[in-house]
Amino acid sequence: MEKKQYELCLEILRRFNKADILKHFILIGSWCVLFYKDYFESNDSIKYTAIKTRDIDFLISAPSKIQVNVDIPALLQDLGFMVIFRGQKGYIQLDHPDLILEFLVPEKGRGTNKPYALPQLKVNAVALRFLNFLTDSTIKVKVENFFVAVPHPANFALHKLIIFQRRRNEDKAAKDRSSAVEILKALIEKGEAQTIVKIFASVPSKWQAKIIKGLEAAGEREILNILSA
Amino acid sequence: MRGVIKGVLAEELQNSLRMKKAYEKALKGLPQGSLAVRKIKGQQYYYLAKRVGGKVKHFYKGKISEEEKRKYEEAKVFRAKYRKLLAQVKKQIRFLRGSLRGKEAI
Repeated sequence: MEKKQYELCLEILRRFNKADILKHFILIGSWCVLFYKDYFESNDSIKYTAIKTRDIDFLISAPSKIQVNVDIPALLQDLGFMVIFRGQKGYIQLDHPDLILEFLVPEKGRGTNKPYALPQLKVNAVALRFLNFLTDSTIKVKVENFFVAVPHPANFALHKLIIFQRRRNEDKAAKDRSSAVEILKALIEKGEAQTIVKIFASVPSKWQAKIIKGLEAAGEREILNILSA
Repeated sequence: MRGVIKGVLAEELQNSLRMKKAYEKALKGLPQGSLAVRKIKGQQYYYLAKRVGGKVKHFYKGKISEEEKRKYEEAKVFRAKYRKLLAQVKKQIRFLRGSLRGKEAI
């Protein structure tokens, strides 16, 4: 199952790249952890850190910059992806037995509970808070002959520590916290403790408080000591 | 109390049930039957082979346009694809239901 999922994920990335839209996307969520394997080349356990579900999320930081028209449901239809409308507001996700594709945009202003329309891509997106934190710092990982943007691991981990406390689903919250802690530990092992401190210092104090609270709940003294140093 | 893994499995079960519904709907929406071609005196005549009441019957279509041919060919490919994926989803549902029946809070 995992190999099939991975192959399908690669095929999606290849098609997005060929359609010239991949450059506008940032791969986030548990699937981006898989692509950290080169970044943490000496740490083999990192690829097992996130329990990969079927959710594969693409964040679009600047939807208005997408000038090409690409019918994403049609692009992926022959792979077996079905368009599913979720909830009363009609959020679109593309479902497949091995993967579920969703698009996200950073929430702006007071926020809305309506889907964000992406007519040039024939889909819509979920607007969520705190996502701009993931777009602040990204790294490009090489996949075959193209590049995929993923959040910097420090941003990814700290973001997870902010959002896990907002989760209604306890299982997802536990999963988020666990993967955040593992990535932070891997960064410290890689000698990037100062990067974590720098990014932590750059976020608003309310977010810092959430991060500290999350680490205290997880009992992660070592990471807390590094952040408070 | 359910643990993290069972929580993930429960969510996957819901996803799979939704997928099953979607594939069944998609299969129903495809044009029924497949094209069979007979060559008579150098000309190609098309018949639509369809199952009616348990028996396969052939309905004469005559000469059809390239577009209609393509429509049936495409439907044939998608029918095979969706049937395979539906079988996969049904297998996943059986596995997930079995896993969630266990008493361990994992």
